[in-house]
Amino acid sequence: MKPNLTLAQAFAEAQRCLLCYDAPCSKECPAKTDPGTFIRKLHLRNIKGAIRTIKKNNILGGVCGVVCPVEKTCQKACSTTEISRPIEIGKLQRFLIEYGWETGFNPLKNTSGKKAEVAIIGSGPAGLSCAAELAKAGINATIFEKKEKPGGVLRYGIPEFRLSAKFLAREIEDIKMLGVKIKCNSKIGANGVKNFRKKGFNAVFIATGLWNPYKIKIPGSDLKNVITSLEFLESVRNGNRKKITLMVKNKNIAIIGGGSVAMDAANSCKELGSRKVYCLCLESLAEIPASKDDLETARDNFVIIKPQCQVKEIVASAGQVAGIKGTETEWVKPNLFIPSNVREASGTEFNLKVQAVIMAIGSGPDPEIKNLCPGIKYKSNNLIKAKKDGVSTADKNIFAGGDIVRGPSLVVKAVQDGKEAAKKIIKCLN
Amino acid sequence: MCGVKFPTPFLLSSSPVSNTAEMVARAFEHGFGGVAYKTLVIDKTKIIHPSPRMAKYNYGSKKLVGLQNVEQTTDRPLKDNLLDIKYLKKRWPKHPVITSIMGFSENEWIELAKMSEDAGSDMLELNFSCPHMTVEGSGMKVGQTFDLVEKFTAAVRKVVKIPILAKMTPNITDITEPALFAKKGGADGITAINTVRGLTEIGLDDYVPKPNVFGKGAISGFSGPAVKPIGLRFIAEMAQCKELNLPLAGCGGIESWIDAVEYLLCGASILQMTTGVIHYGHRIVEDMCEGLSDFMTEKGYENVKDIVGKALPNLHPTEAFDLKRQGIAEYNLDRCIGCGQCYIVCRDAGGQCLEWDGEKRRPVQDKEKCVSCMICSFICPVCDPPMITYKEVKNKKPVIPSVSK
Repeated sequence: MKPNLTLAQAFAEAQRCLLCYDAPCSKECPAKTDPGTFIRKLHLRNIKGAIRTIKKNNILGGVCGVVCPVEKTCQKACSTTEISRPIEIGKLQRFLIEYGWETGFNPLKNTSGKKAEVAIIGSGPAGLSCAAELAKAGINATIFEKKEKPGGVLRYGIPEFRLSAKFLAREIEDIKMLGVKIKCNSKIGANGVKNFRKKGFNAVFIATGLWNPYKIKIPGSDLKNVITSLEFLESVRNGNRKKITLMVKNKNIAIIGGGSVAMDAANSCKELGSRKVYCLCLESLAEIPASKDDLETARDNFVIIKPQCQVKEIVASAGQVAGIKGTETEWVKPNLFIPSNVREASGTEFNLKVQAVIMAIGSGPDPEIKNLCPGIKYKSNNLIKAKKDGVSTADKNIFAGGDIVRGPSLVVKAVQDGKEAAKKIIKCLN
Repeated sequence: MCGVKFPTPFLLSSSPVSNTAEMVARAFEHGFGGVAYKTLVIDKTKIIHPSPRMAKYNYGSKKLVGLQNVEQTTDRPLKDNLLDIKYLKKRWPKHPVITSIMGFSENEWIELAKMSEDAGSDMLELNFSCPHMTVEGSGMKVGQTFDLVEKFTAAVRKVVKIPILAKMTPNITDITEPALFAKKGGADGITAINTVRGLTEIGLDDYVPKPNVFGKGAISGFSGPAVKPIGLRFIAEMAQCKELNLPLAGCGGIESWIDAVEYLLCGASILQMTTGVIHYGHRIVEDMCEGLSDFMTEKGYENVKDIVGKALPNLHPTEAFDLKRQGIAEYNLDRCIGCGQCYIVCRDAGGQCLEWDGEKRRPVQDKEKCVSCMICSFICPVCDPPMITYKEVKNKKPVIPSVSK
């Protein structure tokens, strides 16, 4: 991870803040972390108060400070932009949380009780946030996690150089400290939600995330060294590092996609010793969905970004990936960034010599989700259909949030879903 | 000043920055035009410095807006200091050395004055103002006892030919009183201000004021940019005192050429500095010389003395203000960035003349209610030129808040 700010740097940055009335940054935070307030507190040397504000509003404040694409959320609204550059809100948020850890200041107390039992499926940002809010209200929250370690996408989908396992584990510690129980290696099978209810859980929150990676079907996409970013990043993060290193070290790699995950994959390849790494995406450079920070890291790593192009074929030689064929593209209609809206630009065909292809074009719900909880409604793409509030379902004791409802979205929005769901659960239990 | 010519009006003041000839020589190389050499005392006065001897006063991320110190007079042998002064006069004959002295009896004052003159000093500065001597019967206590000021000045006057400055303490209500006593004793000019007695920081774990001298703190001398307004005030008051009518050496928080010009405009003829050097080193004088000279060129002045006291005709007692003329804070909202700080301060501390348009993120002003306190303009981040400016409004009545409903 990039080094944290020092106290002096953080203080100097907070001094630049204009301390706006009705702070626009606070309005832009999906999780209502309220940067306007915590930066004012830091500005006035009320450091403990600043940490208290973040932790109270966003139990994953440290993680969000690190991974949030702030230039698209809080920092986008910063008034200082018009006279110099926006306040580095994400960095300040991360600083304060880590400063609390370093100095042993934790504003939260274990207030969990036995008012009710709630089961949460998935320990990603939505699940963690919901559990923490419930625990704060004296409700016994138990998270069931399929994988070996908690964190979901934070643990398995974001590379170490961006969010270290240690940092994440530390923030999860704070959540456990509230009294939240996390049961790992606990895969919930068919009718799992119903069984929870039978076992005496008063409510269930489904936050399983999206773990079924998309793969484009083109000639050669079934070859061995064509994998998805999810498989790739999980391997890098979790054990199969040797095998994955062998696949990319000293090789040229093509990554299909232009989001933050694509940049994470590209940067991870570089870290593992790849030679040339290409990122090919449909968007133009100005439209690329990856955050500015991720793009900057990719550029620092000499990742070659090829915007507005499409991979047509993965070329094989002796059963191995040997290259890709592609063309440049343009949008048919403006501002509609979907594959069906592109047309090829004639005469722009190109070949790249690569030995592996990583598809980073997003992922969808596991189709098994419907068996897990048959009693609620689903959309055609298998996402859970929530009510207007975004977290309630057709069953009054079953709630859902995060990517399994929204589709691919931001960590900070999953945090908000968790908070919102907890609020609704508390209301339903009363 | 006092018939002595200075290559530039910028001097080191009598302090740790003028402790040895070596330091002073380096300052001269950078453009300082003279020195008030660190206060000499008779050798039998044993000076041992407390440790540590200074403490910082920071504001936000800004370092050293003030400096607290318990520095004493020189702790070097008198002989060494006199040799250093001789050396300076030999190497830098055109750079005046003003030797600061402090006696603990009339005889000591006389002895020190004679020796300093013999060593080649161009002027003397009588230290009546050190706010924290660890030795009794000296420094500021003399400056606060007017007849002693006169007595010691007169004693020195009798034995030396070179001009005498009396350095005054600001820890007093009316500085012109002791200054007049110094004049009566024969002083040729006044230096002001010495440090202001203060306390900058208290340790939050041990409750010891800083500098923390092994568990003990003390009210002591405070200097730096934070005291500039106090220094300017005392200089202006003495400059306006017709009975005094002596040339003035100004000091207190001078760091930039702008501070320097302000002291000159308020009546100082030469300028002395320490905290600026402690913060930035000798190089600050380069920018002061350049800045002052560009300012004079721009305004069409030949000599520094031409701007001395230029602000004094505009300095009045507050009762002289024309209260019939009123105005408002005028907003140029085209350049507003919507931070809303003006709204907060006007509501909580001003005339409550602003409403907030949350949709547009802009203040909406009720000009009738504006009391022209101007605090909104002080915190507005849009500058160069400022977005909020003062504007006179013809026939505007003074705003009197009505009874709360």
